[in-house]
Amino acid sequence: MIELDTEHGPDVAVVRPRGRLTMVHAADLRAVVAEALADGRTRVVIDLAHCEFMDSSGLGAIIGGLKAARQAGGDLRIAALQPQVMTVLQLTNLDRVLRPHGSVAEALRGD
Amino acid sequence: MQTALEVTAPAVDEPARLRALEMLDVLHGGSEERFDRITRMAQALFGVSAAAVTLVTDSVQVHKSQHGPMALGDGPRETAFCDHTIRDATTLVVEDATADERFSHFPSVTGSPHIRFYAGHPLTGAGGHRVGALCLVDENPRTFTDAEQDMLAELASWVQRELDRTAELDSAARVQRALLPRCVPTVAGYEVAGMCMPAGSVGGDFFDWYHSPDGHLVLTLADVMGKGLPASIIMATVRAVMRSTTRDGDPGHALTEAAATLHDDLERTGRLVTLCHAQLDPARNELRYADAGHGLMLLVRADGTAHRPESGGLPLGVLADQTWTESVVHLEPGDTALAFSDGLLDLYDGTLDSLEQIAEVVRDCVDATHLIDRFTVLARRLGVRVDDVTVVAVRRES
Repeated sequence: MIELDTEHGPDVAVVRPRGRLTMVHAADLRAVVAEALADGRTRVVIDLAHCEFMDSSGLGAIIGGLKAARQAGGDLRIAALQPQVMTVLQLTNLDRVLRPHGSVAEALRGD
Repeated sequence: MQTALEVTAPAVDEPARLRALEMLDVLHGGSEERFDRITRMAQALFGVSAAAVTLVTDSVQVHKSQHGPMALGDGPRETAFCDHTIRDATTLVVEDATADERFSHFPSVTGSPHIRFYAGHPLTGAGGHRVGALCLVDENPRTFTDAEQDMLAELASWVQRELDRTAELDSAARVQRALLPRCVPTVAGYEVAGMCMPAGSVGGDFFDWYHSPDGHLVLTLADVMGKGLPASIIMATVRAVMRSTTRDGDPGHALTEAAATLHDDLERTGRLVTLCHAQLDPARNELRYADAGHGLMLLVRADGTAHRPESGGLPLGVLADQTWTESVVHLEPGDTALAFSDGLLDLYDGTLDSLEQIAEVVRDCVDATHLIDRFTVLARRLGVRVDDVTVVAVRRES
């Protein structure tokens, strides 16, 4: 359900939730991000290309990941948002603290 | 242990027992995994033809859960083993039903499924009333050791915990409902109405309203991230903190003050809260509001045009030292302002396209109460709600 891809660099973790990111998988996402940070991978990108739905618990898990990454001296970025996820982000004004990036590569470059 | 000839008069308050059963709210709705896993385990553990969780109503025995090669049918209470089990607080063991006058004539013994062995441990509802049993049955007679009886009682206590949890949730739901406004506030020239329906017994949504000392009406609608009991604990906290903030003046200030108080709690529990806090000034016909990532507001003008008022800041629990500012909407006669949780969108297609359909309901309704009733009916019609549904409507009279 949630893949961890560590091929983009020694300090990079790309986290890929698939399907619906809801209360059911929110804890898994938090755990995967925590694991990556503990591993010294403080540049975290959540690749949402295959996540077609996210509820407030999913969003909460991502914000939790963002806080943890910043505490570890790194950052968390989000990429390839699907329409529903984009709507949730905009409705809550969270696009101000989590700027959506077009792709994982763009997120890593900071575009 | 009872002897075969002993006549047991059920010394129970039957109406109270039936109320206790009803309150558990497990009679309807079919099988549930939380009970099924226990009957599966019991059947495998004891190697019997079937294990079941039964409930005894005024007239019948209902199998809430059963597992095993022998299929047990619901049937009249008079010829149900479990009706005997609930007469006593101890485990009932029938090693061979054909040799026991109490049971040898039961249709389930003389005919299919030909029960010979039975062991059942009673389950209780509120007030300790015995409402059913965890039972084992077998097509062959068998002995049942003290150690096995202990094990069955242990498993029954597990079923019991599940039943108690239901009862506890029901009390929690009653407490939470009592935290919602009981009556509709009177505001000259305005109609105000609201509703809150949790998806489960309890939820993370709430709305609140009260008068401020300067004669304004303060309104709050909030959606705590997540669902169920954990969200409901935060809901009660957020409501209390919001109530204790300044009631006069800027809703932005009130929200900023409340957020500062709540931040540590939200941070530690990893929760976000979206919230809309408003003040209705009926003299100036102004609705001043501060928005914490809620965004789901709709203003439907008397001429039918609808739009979402501008939305403000971040949800609560994201950043420390966050501030919120107020926005103002001027209400003309016949205008309706609506705030709602995203659960309302789920009554339609779940996307923002639903806003137009929601606006259409507003145009179609004669007053705020009618409007809220329409949403309530719609929410009830949806059998399984995945999210809490909360709506507050303020309408300036024409």
